Amino acid sequence: MADRDFLVGVFVCEQDLLAATHAAREAGFKIHDAYTPYPVHGMDEAMALPKTLLPRLCFLFGAAGLLLAVLFQCWVGLIDWPMNIGGKSFGARPALIPIAFELTVLFAGLGTVISFLVLRRLFPGREPECAGLGASDASFVLAFATPETEQLRGTLNRLLLERGAKSVREASSR
Amino acid sequence: MNSERDDIEAQDRRDLVRRGSFLKGMAASFAALSGGGCVFRPPEGKVVPLMEQPAGVFPGETLWYATTCGACTASCGALVKVRDGRPIKLEGNPEHPLSRGGLCARGQASVLDLYDSHRLRFPLLDGKEASWAALDAFVSERLNGVAVLSETIVSPTLRFAVERFLKKFPGSRLVEYDSLSASAILDAHARTHGVRTLPAYHLGKARVIVSFDADFLGSWISPVEFTKDWSPNRQPEREWDTMSWHAQFESRLSVTGANADLRVPLRPSEQYETLRQIGLAVASLVFWKGPKPPAGEPSSLNAAAVSDTAGQLARAAGRSLVLSGSPDAATQCLVNWINAMLGNYGETLVLDPAGLQKRGSETEFDRLLGDLEKGAVKGVVVLSGNPVYDHPKGAELAKFLDSAKLSLSLSGRPDETAVRCRAVAPDHHPLESWSDAEAVSGVLSLSQPAIAPLYSTRAAIESLSLWAGEPMSALDALRGRWKKSVLPGADFERRWHEALRKGVVLSDVKNPKNLRFDGRVLERLSPNPLRSAEGGFELSAYASPVLGDGRQANNPWLQETPDPISKTAWGNYASFSPEDAAKLGIVEGRVVRLSAGAASIELPAQIQKGHARGVVSAALGYGRTHAGPVAANFPVQKMLPVEREELSGADLFPLTAYSSVRVESTGRMSAPAKTQTYDEMSDPITGRRRPMVQETTLQDYFKDATSGRGKAMEVGPSLWPAHDYPGPKWAMAIDLNVCTGCSSCVVACGLENNVPVVGKAEVRKSRDMHWMRIDRYYNENGETAFQPMLCQHCDNAPCETVCPVLATLHSSEGMNMQVYNRCVGTRYCANNCPYKVRRFNWFDYAHEDLTQNLALNPDITVRTRGVMEKCSFCVQRVQSAKADARAENRAVTDGEVRPACAQSCPADAIVFGDLNDPKSAVAKKLGDPRSYAVLSELGVGPSVFYMTKVRNKKV
Amino acid sequence: MSARVSPLREPWVDGGKTLARITEDVCAPLERGPAPSWYWGLGASLTALLIGKIVVVHQIWTGIGTWGLNKTVGWSWDITNFVFWVGIGHAGTLISAILFLFRQKWRTSINRAAEAMTIFAVMCAGLFPLIHMGRPWLAYWVFPYPNELGPLWVNFRSPLLWDVFAISTYFIISATFWYVGLWPDLATVRDRSQGLRKKIFGVLSLGWDGSHRSWSRYETMYLLLAGLATPLVFSVHTIVSFDFATSVIPGWHTTIFPPYFVCGAIFSGFAMVMTLMIIARKVMRFEEYITLRHIDAMCKITLLTSMIVALAYGTELFMAWYSGNPYEQFAFLNRIYGPYRAGYALMVFCNVLVPQALWFKAVRRNPLWVFPISILINVGMWLERFVIITVSLHRDYLPSSWTMYYPTYVEIGTFLGSFGLFFTCFFLFCRFLPMIACSEVKAISTFAQENRETPRG
Repeated sequence: MADRDFLVGVFVCEQDLLAATHAAREAGFKIHDAYTPYPVHGMDEAMALPKTLLPRLCFLFGAAGLLLAVLFQCWVGLIDWPMNIGGKSFGARPALIPIAFELTVLFAGLGTVISFLVLRRLFPGREPECAGLGASDASFVLAFATPETEQLRGTLNRLLLERGAKSVREASSR
Repeated sequence: MNSERDDIEAQDRRDLVRRGSFLKGMAASFAALSGGGCVFRPPEGKVVPLMEQPAGVFPGETLWYATTCGACTASCGALVKVRDGRPIKLEGNPEHPLSRGGLCARGQASVLDLYDSHRLRFPLLDGKEASWAALDAFVSERLNGVAVLSETIVSPTLRFAVERFLKKFPGSRLVEYDSLSASAILDAHARTHGVRTLPAYHLGKARVIVSFDADFLGSWISPVEFTKDWSPNRQPEREWDTMSWHAQFESRLSVTGANADLRVPLRPSEQYETLRQIGLAVASLVFWKGPKPPAGEPSSLNAAAVSDTAGQLARAAGRSLVLSGSPDAATQCLVNWINAMLGNYGETLVLDPAGLQKRGSETEFDRLLGDLEKGAVKGVVVLSGNPVYDHPKGAELAKFLDSAKLSLSLSGRPDETAVRCRAVAPDHHPLESWSDAEAVSGVLSLSQPAIAPLYSTRAAIESLSLWAGEPMSALDALRGRWKKSVLPGADFERRWHEALRKGVVLSDVKNPKNLRFDGRVLERLSPNPLRSAEGGFELSAYASPVLGDGRQANNPWLQETPDPISKTAWGNYASFSPEDAAKLGIVEGRVVRLSAGAASIELPAQIQKGHARGVVSAALGYGRTHAGPVAANFPVQKMLPVEREELSGADLFPLTAYSSVRVESTGRMSAPAKTQTYDEMSDPITGRRRPMVQETTLQDYFKDATSGRGKAMEVGPSLWPAHDYPGPKWAMAIDLNVCTGCSSCVVACGLENNVPVVGKAEVRKSRDMHWMRIDRYYNENGETAFQPMLCQHCDNAPCETVCPVLATLHSSEGMNMQVYNRCVGTRYCANNCPYKVRRFNWFDYAHEDLTQNLALNPDITVRTRGVMEKCSFCVQRVQSAKADARAENRAVTDGEVRPACAQSCPADAIVFGDLNDPKSAVAKKLGDPRSYAVLSELGVGPSVFYMTKVRNKKV
Repeated sequence: MSARVSPLREPWVDGGKTLARITEDVCAPLERGPAPSWYWGLGASLTALLIGKIVVVHQIWTGIGTWGLNKTVGWSWDITNFVFWVGIGHAGTLISAILFLFRQKWRTSINRAAEAMTIFAVMCAGLFPLIHMGRPWLAYWVFPYPNELGPLWVNFRSPLLWDVFAISTYFIISATFWYVGLWPDLATVRDRSQGLRKKIFGVLSLGWDGSHRSWSRYETMYLLLAGLATPLVFSVHTIVSFDFATSVIPGWHTTIFPPYFVCGAIFSGFAMVMTLMIIARKVMRFEEYITLRHIDAMCKITLLTSMIVALAYGTELFMAWYSGNPYEQFAFLNRIYGPYRAGYALMVFCNVLVPQALWFKAVRRNPLWVFPISILINVGMWLERFVIITVSLHRDYLPSSWTMYYPTYVEIGTFLGSFGLFFTCFFLFCRFLPMIACSEVKAISTFAQENRETPRG
C-alpha cells in the first residue's frame, strides 16, 4: 500500500480522535490507521483491532531458551564431558537453574522485540507513513483510504470536521 | 585418564629396565661420560657435546649417582639426580649410615650453587683474570713457610694431599678452624679425656636428652644425622617408657627447643652454674666420689627444674645424653663430667671412633695471627672456608692477607676472603669434583662428579699436588688412597665400583682406645668467664637451619625459605623477649643498633616468645658483602618491585668476639619479610583456640589414645553420593610429633616443582610461592607446634567447584589437579580454599640468574604470569612410578612413590601412599587413633592426615 | 486550566504544559548547545577515564601484582567495585520495569535516564571481572563455545560462570528495553530535524510513525519486557551474591545473601539515581519535569531499602551468634573489632543512621539535603562490599595465613576510571538523546489528562 492516497483528519486531543473514530466506523468508513504522539487508550476498541500474538510468541521463545539451557548443560555434564568437580555428582541439578533462568529471559525478551519488529515491518530506513502531520509532536491523525466516490468523500470530510478535526486533507503514504 | 601416556612411558622404559642392573653397576663410568666424556681434563677444557651417545645414556632419562653432600662438614650421603647430563636435584642417600636418606635444606639447595653465575670462572691474579700456568708460576715460588688455613678437612684424600704439600715445604703448617666452632668441646675433651676430639654422638640410644643451647635438630654439628636418631624415639605408639624425654635449656627459641618436652629459657652466662647444679644433683644420685667443680655466676634457674632434670638423667644412666653448644671450655668440661658420671661415654657418645665434623681450634687460629704479626709465617693459603667473613677475627686476618708475601685462596667464589687474596685458584663445586669424606671415623663416603666443571676451575687436590711438584688427577689421588688404606687387598675394581654405587664404605676402626674421664680438671675450672664487664645484653649468635654460616648466602632458595621459628625470610633480625622489648620500648621491626667494642651492626627487632631475658639473639650468615646479588637482596626478577636495601641482614661474626652487647634503638623501622604474620593457635578477639593442631600429653594419650582432639565439629551427611576411586587413592599422613620444622621439605618441594622465588619485597606483601609451607603456632602455654601445610587434595574440593573454566578438577586417583594452561587467573579457587595453600603468579617469575634455569626440573611446567599453582602431590613422580610398574607388569608397591617433601624429611614425618591398599603405610597411619584431618568439620574430605602431637611431660 | 486539574492527583509535571511545549522542552538540549557546566562535567569525566585507562594498561602489561592483593586476599577492590556497580544498575531496571508494573506514573520523567544509568553501570561492572583475571586476553574462555581442545567445556557449577550469563543477559535486556522505549522519541526528534541528524535518527527510529496499530502492540511488548526484566533484576544480584554464599569462607557462606544483596543494590541504585537527577535537573534545566515530588518519592524507597539493609546486618550478626560456629562468630567479631573496624563503623553510619534523616519531608524535598545523603549512601554501600569481601578473606580458617591488604595506586586509579567511564557516557547521553521519555510524559501531562476526563459538549 506504499503509494496509496489517504484522507486524513488532524485532531488536537485524544477524545476528539476517539469520538471521530467511533463515528466513522459506525458510518461504515474503513479506517486505515491512527497516528498519535502517545498510545491513546480506547483506540483498540474504536478501531476494533484484533488481539496481538506477542504474549504467545514471548512464551514460546522463553520455553525454547529454557529447553536449550537445560539440555545443553545436561549433555555436557552427563554425556560429553563428565568430570569429578569438587566431588559433586555429574548432573548436579541445582547448579543448572541460574543459567537456565537467564537464557529463558534472554530468549523471551529478544524474541518478543524481534517478532514485534517483524509484525509491524519496522526496520532501519523504513519510510514513516503520514509523516509531517505532527503525529510525533502534538497532533492526533486519523487516516482513511480515500473513498472512491466524490459524495462519500464529502460525507467523511463533514463527519471529521463535526467531530472537531482541526483540518481534513489528502495525504500520501510518502 | 592417563592410561595412554602410561603405556607410552612404559614402552620407553621396558628396554631400559633390562639394562637396569648394568646401569647401577657402571654408575662410575657414566658419571665420567655424562659429564662430557672425560673427567681429568686440561684446565682450559670446555664442556663439549657428546660426539657419540654413550651406551645406556638416553635423552630425558633420569640417572642417579651416589655422592656426598658438600654443603657443610656433616657430609651427609646424597643421591644426585642427573637429567641429560645436568644435575637437577639432590636427595638423601638411604644407604648412608649417618644421614639415612635425609638431607637438610642447605644440602637440598646446594645444587643451585652449582649453577650460580656469580662463581669464579677462572683463576685470578691481583684481582685480574689469569691463566692457570701464570697462577701456578706465581704461587709455586712463594710457598715456603706458608700456613694452610682451612675449615675442618673432612676428606681424608684432601688431608693426605695437604700433608704431602706441607712436607714439601718446611716451616709450613695446617690451621683448621670452624665458622660454627665446636672448639670448646674438643678442648674440654683434651682436658677431661686427654684427647682433643669431638665425640661421635648416638642420640638414638639416648632415652633422656638434656641440651644446653645445642641446636642439634637445626644446625649443630650434624643435624640430619641427629634428627634421624632422635625422631624414632618420639613415637608414642610404643609402650610407655620408650618415648624419649628431651629437655632444652637455651637462650633463644631454637628448632630443637621448640621440639623439647621441657624447655627452659637460660642466659648463656647461667649455663655453667646450671650445669654445675645439675651435676651436683646427679653426683649425689649416682654416688660420685670424685672432685667437684667450683661455683660460678648464680643461676636464676628454679631448683625444681634442676632436680627433675637430674632425676631423669640419673634414672636413665648410660642411656642419657647431655649436650652443650657453649663456646666455653669450662662449661663443656662440666658436660663431660655429667656424661661421665652417668656412664654415657661408650654408649650415647663415643670418643673412638670419634666425630670428625669439627676439628678447628680457636687457639691455633690465634697463634696463626700472632705468627703473622711476628712475620714467622710468610703467607697464607686459604684452602677452604671464608675466614675473613665467618671468623670473629676475620678483619685482623684480612690485614695480613693484604700485606703477606703470598695470600692465596682456593675458594670457588669471589668471597670476602678471596677478594683480599693476591691469587685465587678456584676449586670445583662439590658436584663437579672427585672427593671423599669421613665425617665419623670409619664412615667413608665418596663424591663423584655429576657434571664436567662448568668453568675453568681446578680441584683443590690437583692444585696442591701440582704445587707440591707431583701432579696427579683428583681421581687418581682418590683411587690411590682408597686402594691403599680403604679398600686394601684383592679385587679393588669391583669393590671400588660397589663403593661408587653405594656411595659409602664402612671400615671398622682398629683397636679403639678406651679413654677414661679424669676428674682432677674439675677443681681447676675457672668459673664462667662469659660475663663481660660492659654489661648490656648477652649476645646469642646462632646459625639458622636454613642459611647456616652463610656460605650459601647467594642461594635464592635459602634466602626465601623462612626461619622455622620466626617465619622471617631474607635477612636476620635481633630477637628479644617480650619483657625486654617492653623495657626498651621497641616494637617488631624497629631497627636497633647492637654494638660492642669497635663492632656495631643494625638489625630490625623481633619480639620472640620463650626468649631468655637479658639476651639478644641474632642469626649468623647474613650481611655478606661479597656473596653476590641475591645476598645483597637485588631483584630476583627485573619486573618485580624491590625495596633496595644495602644487604639482606647484617654480619654478626665480628660481634661474636664479645659475649655481651649494648642495645640502642634507632628511630627507623624495617618490616621483616614474614611468611606468617599471626603466631597463635587462638584468635585475638575471642581467645578461642582453633583445632588445626591437636596435641596432648603422653599420660593423657595412654589414658585415651584419641585425647587432645579439641572440640572439632562433626561432619554432616553428604547430599550427593561420593565418587569412587577404583584405582589407587593417593593420600599423605604427617606426624606432628616428629616434624621438627627444619624446612628441608620446603626447599625440596620448591626445587622439585620449579616453584619461583619472589624476593624480599614480595614476601613482605605475603606473596611467597611455597607449595609446602610449615605453619608454626604457639599454644596457650607458649609451647610451639609445627604443622606442614600443603594442598590437602580434598575429595570435595571447594576450589574445584568455583573455577569457571575447569582449570582445577579431580583425578580418578583422588588428586586435586591444576591445569596451568587452562587457568585464566580469577583467583576464586584461592579465595575458596580453607587452607590457603594455592599460590598465584602475580608477575613473571623467571630466574634473574639465567644459569640457574639449568637446575629446573624438566618434568614440571614453568608457570607463566597470571596462573594459579599449588602442590600436586608430586604427580610427576606418581606417573613415572606407575610407568615403571607397568613396564614390569606389577602394581606400584607401597613406598615406591615418595613426593619430594616426604623423601627429604630427616625425621620421616611424612608418609605417602595408596589409601585403597589396606596394607599400605599410609592406610595404617589413617587407622591410628592419633590421625585426624584439619578442618574436617567443613566436610571437604582432605586426603592429608595429621597425627596428634604428644608431649612427654613426665615431670 | 489548572482549575480543571483533577483533585485526585496533582500532576507529575509542573506548569500545565501543552504537548507541543513538552516536545520543545525535551528536545531543547539536543537542539540548542548545552550549558558550559556540561562541558566542565564531561571534561572531568574524560580525565578520570584517561587515568583509569593508563593504570589498567599498566596493570595488564605488568601483572596483577601491581595490585595490593596477596596469597590470602585474592579479591578486594576489583570485585568490590564489580558488585558496587552492578548494584547501582539495579535501580534503573527497578524504576523502568517494576514501577511500570505497579503503574507508578511518576517514573515517566526519570525512567529514561535511570535505564541509561543501568546500562552504563553494568558496563563499568563488567570491566572488573575482565581485568581482574590473571590472563584477561583469555577471557573468552569463560564462554561455552565449541572448541578444538577436545571435549572441553566451562564449569556450569561455578558461580562465576553464572555471573557471566547473568550480567550479559542483564546488559542485553536492559539495553533492549531502553532502546525500545526510545523509538517514539527518536521519531519525534527525526521529524523535527533536518540533514544528517534527520538521517541518523531516521535510521535509529526504525521508521516509527506513531501508528496506533504499532502503539497497541508496542504497549503489550513493553509490558512483556517489564515482566521479564523484573525477575531478571532480582536474579542478577542473587547470582552475584552466590559468588559468596556458595563458598566455604566464614562471612561469605551466608544464606540470607540473595535478598540482602538485592535490597542493598536497590538502595545504592536509588541513591545514585538521586545523585544524577539532582545534577541533571539543574544542568539540563528540567526542574519542571524532575520535580521535588519525584525526589521525595525516591527518598521514600531509599528509606525503606535502608531499613531492610539494616535488618540484614542485624540478622547476620544474630545468625553468627546463633549458629554457634566459632569461625563464623570470629568472622563477624573481626569485622567489628578487627583491623578494618573503621570500615565497618562507617558502613553502619552511612547505610543505617544517615538515611533516617529521610523520615522528614523537609529533608526529602530539599535537594541540598538529599544530595549529600545520596553520596554518603553510595560510600556506605561500597564499604559494605569491601567489608564482606576483603575483611572476610583476610582472616579465615588457618591463623597462619592471616594477613592484611592495602590497595595500590593502580586499584584506586582503576576505580576512579570506572567513574570516568560512567559519567562520560551519562553526559554524552544527556546531550545527544532525549533524556526524558517524551511520549510517556505527554500521556500523563495535564493537557492529556484534562482532555481525557472532560468530553466536549
